[in-house]
Amino acid sequence: MNLKNIFIALTVLVFGVIALFFMQKSGYADQAKANYEKNTNASYKGNSMVFDLVNTAIETNKGTWAIACEALQTVKNTQDMAKLEAKFFPATKGSMSITNKTRRFEANSSNVIVSNFAKVEENKTTGVKSLAGLLSVDVSVLLGNVVAAAESEEGSEEGEEE
Amino acid sequence: MDKKKMKILVVVEVVVLVALIVVLMMLKGGYEETAKRSSNEQVKNYLDKNTQVLVDQWRAVDQYSMAWKLVHTVLSGAKTEAAFNTSLAAIQADKDARFKQISHLYSSVGINADVQNGIFKKAGLVEESILLKNEKTSKEVACGQNCVVKFNFVKGKLKNVDYSALIQYNLANSLKIEKPAEFRFE
Repeated sequence: MNLKNIFIALTVLVFGVIALFFMQKSGYADQAKANYEKNTNASYKGNSMVFDLVNTAIETNKGTWAIACEALQTVKNTQDMAKLEAKFFPATKGSMSITNKTRRFEANSSNVIVSNFAKVEENKTTGVKSLAGLLSVDVSVLLGNVVAAAESEEGSEEGEEE
Repeated sequence: MDKKKMKILVVVEVVVLVALIVVLMMLKGGYEETAKRSSNEQVKNYLDKNTQVLVDQWRAVDQYSMAWKLVHTVLSGAKTEAAFNTSLAAIQADKDARFKQISHLYSSVGINADVQNGIFKKAGLVEESILLKNEKTSKEVACGQNCVVKFNFVKGKLKNVDYSALIQYNLANSLKIEKPAEFRFE
């Protein structure tokens, strides 16, 4: 009778040990999976954020560059410049400085161009002043020379609206 | 069942049990090692693949930045083939300015210097020239992944420059950060 009980107990133990085989494998697999997911998900999240931010930066940057380059080929005065700005950034308008004979367009603080004009013109009927004779388009800010461009803007004043 | 047979069965079962425990202990180490190795390998593969996209993006932005600067310089200056060649050489050679321009673009959306330097360490700057085609009347420069700017010259004078690819440039069309694949215990 005793032997029979021992036999039954041992049989139960054998099945228990077999069950442990599978549980053990599954436990390590779960741990490895958790480690994998923790590291890869963190990387996916961080890198996706950087990737998307850069693509967003390009969207604004390319529009600002496009204004600068198209201006050099087509713009004659600040009215033309205003139309060009509206083509790429309908919601943002540049500002004119009659004193400095410049028009500054700022898509955001990192995407700024400053157009330099040769002369001030005044509409005799309306008295509205504008700038004509595009000389150059300063893209220092786009090139990363933020300080130099910011300093050059000091003392500028708003011109009249076109 | 008689007592003798039962004794034999019990002994056999004890032996099987001991053998199973020994195998279990042996497999334990194996499973642990396999799990660690498998996880580490798959994490590394994913991180390498994932980081490579940021490296490719950085290099594409380098080409993109040089191309815009070149278009602007050529249109601002003498508009000749000679001016194009001089400008291109100067832009490509000025590595500090190239880094500054890329860094400015990254900083504009709040990507900090540590992240930028981490990518730059792996990506560097594009070593190859962006000049893809160099004929007397027609020159093409790379402006990023699948992006080409075309300059046409007539008798050494710039006739036109087609930078529509730059205006339409969208890196998301050529690069993508993939989601992690399912973990495989192997």
